[in-house]
Amino acid sequence: MSLVLRLFRELRFLLRQRAVAGLLVLAMLLSALSVTTGLAEIAHQRMTLERMILADKADRDGALAKAEDWGSAAYSSFHLTYLPPSDLAFAAMGQRDASPWKHRIHMLALEGQIHAADTANPELALAGRIDFAFIVSVLAPLLVILLLHDLRAGERAAGRHDLLIATAGQSGRLWPIRASALIATLAVCLLLPFWVGAALAGTQLAKVLAVSLLVCIHLLFWAAVSYWAGARAAAGSVILTGLIGFWLLLTAILPAITRVSIERAISIPAGGDIVLTQREAVNDAWDLPKNVTMEAFGARHPEWENYTQVSRPFEWKWYYAFQQVGDQTAEALSTTYREGIRERDQAAALAAFSSPPALVDRALQGLAGTDTRAALAYDASVRDFHTRLRTWYYPKLFRDEPFEPAALSALPVYQPRDERD
Amino acid sequence: MRKVLLVAADEWRFWRRSRLAMLALGLLLLLVAASATLTALRMSSEAQARSQLQTDAEETYRSQPDRHPHRMVHYGHYVFRTPPPLAMIDPGVDPVTGQSIFLEGHRQNAAMFADAKAGATAGQMADMSPAAVLSLFAPLLLIAMGYSVMTREREAGTLGPLLAQGLSPLTLVAGKWLALASVAGLTLLPLMLTAAAAISKGESISATAVFAGSYGLYLLVWCTLVVAVSSLATRRAGALTILVVVWILLALIIPRFAANVAASAAPAQGKIEADFEVLSELRSMGDGHNAADPAFEQLKTNLLLQYGVASIEDLPVNFRGVVAQTAEADLTAVLNRFAEERMATEIHQVSLLRSFGWISPTLALREASMTSAGTGVEAHHKFLRDAEAVRFDFVQGLNRVHAEQLAYADDINRSSDPEAERRTRVSSENWKALEDFDFVPPPSGARVEGALTPLGKLGAWFALLFGLVLLSARGLKP
Repeated sequence: MSLVLRLFRELRFLLRQRAVAGLLVLAMLLSALSVTTGLAEIAHQRMTLERMILADKADRDGALAKAEDWGSAAYSSFHLTYLPPSDLAFAAMGQRDASPWKHRIHMLALEGQIHAADTANPELALAGRIDFAFIVSVLAPLLVILLLHDLRAGERAAGRHDLLIATAGQSGRLWPIRASALIATLAVCLLLPFWVGAALAGTQLAKVLAVSLLVCIHLLFWAAVSYWAGARAAAGSVILTGLIGFWLLLTAILPAITRVSIERAISIPAGGDIVLTQREAVNDAWDLPKNVTMEAFGARHPEWENYTQVSRPFEWKWYYAFQQVGDQTAEALSTTYREGIRERDQAAALAAFSSPPALVDRALQGLAGTDTRAALAYDASVRDFHTRLRTWYYPKLFRDEPFEPAALSALPVYQPRDERD
Repeated sequence: MRKVLLVAADEWRFWRRSRLAMLALGLLLLLVAASATLTALRMSSEAQARSQLQTDAEETYRSQPDRHPHRMVHYGHYVFRTPPPLAMIDPGVDPVTGQSIFLEGHRQNAAMFADAKAGATAGQMADMSPAAVLSLFAPLLLIAMGYSVMTREREAGTLGPLLAQGLSPLTLVAGKWLALASVAGLTLLPLMLTAAAAISKGESISATAVFAGSYGLYLLVWCTLVVAVSSLATRRAGALTILVVVWILLALIIPRFAANVAASAAPAQGKIEADFEVLSELRSMGDGHNAADPAFEQLKTNLLLQYGVASIEDLPVNFRGVVAQTAEADLTAVLNRFAEERMATEIHQVSLLRSFGWISPTLALREASMTSAGTGVEAHHKFLRDAEAVRFDFVQGLNRVHAEQLAYADDINRSSDPEAERRTRVSSENWKALEDFDFVPPPSGARVEGALTPLGKLGAWFALLFGLVLLSARGLKP
């Protein structure tokens, strides 16, 4: 009998067991649920962004129409920056729940704006969500364990074990074939809804293949562990207890330990310190002699050194200069903060090799562009855009160019980075 | 009763001989103890750090030099949310919400710097507070130790003789249940110790009792469930598989599923999007910086009439300060309306989420725990409201100074006349009026009351399962 035929024969037999069929249906249902809610959430985020891009433009146009000079134009016009969800974000929401993916900024000190969080309901965020990454990284191992732990013990308990061995011809191949049939079916149950979702979301084929491969490797890892454990001559329930303990160790305990140790080993400045420093610098400027601010500004922008004379008590160029000096003062802290997050993430990437579920979760987030790296890249893109705004306004403010409302149509426009870059 | 104790003691004898049971018990106790210690250390150092930051922020504010009062309105102030004592066990929403808010005039800022954003990402199960360990993993231990309490007797053929000797089925089941309940009690020991520490830190006894009681009741629900399944199942392997699947559904799937449902059934606008509406409404009102704004024409007429003078220069108060006061009050009314709407949406979402507590005891426990500890969304909302009260008070206090201690003529000339500018700087003594802020969660009475509904959910689960156990005991056959 050919291998494929035997595979199907075993599968037919296994599916007739209610428990097995039930678990497989459960796997498919949960996967479909995760994909459906993931797609709905992404659609919601995209619609939100579409609405906001329009509202942002209308709001800015209204504000600019009322502007009387370059300074007030820069003060009253806000610009939306955002990180749109990728074509795979529906499968792994990752940091999009914790890190901001949209900011509205204007030309004041950036450190006072970029840390604002536009987070959703905290209690929902705490509960977590069922996304495909959760199904694959946390739940799939449990399903594999439940399906495979009593492959032999079950037959032993039913009194069929020895009979099966005796009649199976090449006895050594019976169990691998059964296990393979189960794992292959489970993989299809989990991946089928994902493939449909990916087709609807227009996910790049390469990413779909990568995710599918990742899912299969993860399933194989747990299949190997369960198969090895199941080969022991112990009662099925004892094997199951041991396997669940192992799952707990890899899925929860080791990740928790690595997380705590990483966060202790790599300390980051308290966020509050960044904004406090920035606020002190910005506010002190009102009381400082103006040339102190202008000199600190000129040190960073030598091209405007010759334009830093301030004669009136209030001038916009001085105002924006001390905003920039405020950012400069907090720069070291802010850089350390972001570097700390990056280092923690790199350490976590390394530590994830001790936990396949964490590794799979991180890999999915990486593919979906919803990981910490993507959040940091978005942060950097907001900073770049803010710099472009400053570079655009500075010549007009410092050379005291006459105000031309028509020129405002050439203001820089935020472009989200193409996720494929 | 003596027989019940005998059965329970016998079960313990079995467990002590089972390496697997002892290993599982030891591992979980270690886990609870470690997470209790780590979380307690972390949260108390957080509490200390944040109250230090709070004191620093207040001192910095009060030590500002003489200034124009409106400068202080924009200088602003910080408030920090110090975690309540029971956050040592259940930090609740603390890691996902910002811990500090910058308070300034004309704006309500969002809380900044949530821990979750800066943390190391290590998979979706890396949260190991004692609350998480007890709500997610203690039930697994009860399953591992208890799935066979009845099925084992049945499979080994000892059930028949036991019953034949006159042991009533109810006594047998009660003894098994008691043994399992004592395991649950053991896992609660670290929680009890930390709870005692929380009381010594000033937590109310009633809230702590409800808090600890909800964990007790939750674990008893699981004990009962395990005994019920074990007496109904015919085989050990079957009992264990059923219990593991039930655990996956109740503890892992339903709470997250509920969050998915709540988020999509009652979608909430983000703050930035909601701010578009706020902005457009605010633009239709007067700008408090501009006393010449036509929006304040009525105010001007009223004031002139009230003091019986002909022009704002003759008013005994600084018109600009009065405008600032009025504008801030009007604007705050709008901001508060939007903020209250937003919080109402969040409460609606959360109540949707929590209604799933009827079908998942894990969710019910989480609700009871966070509510009684004061680390849930209600407590966070209280923080937002308290912070807003502080903001409004200090801004209006400064605006009053602006209206009463500054000459209008100096105020309008301060941008062109350095002498006038000097006279508009009021004494820094005025900054001392800032009140101390010390965040306290909702009062213990309210927290206890809030925890009654989720306790009811747990109670319903317990009653239902208890009935099931009684039924199964009555029908107990070898």
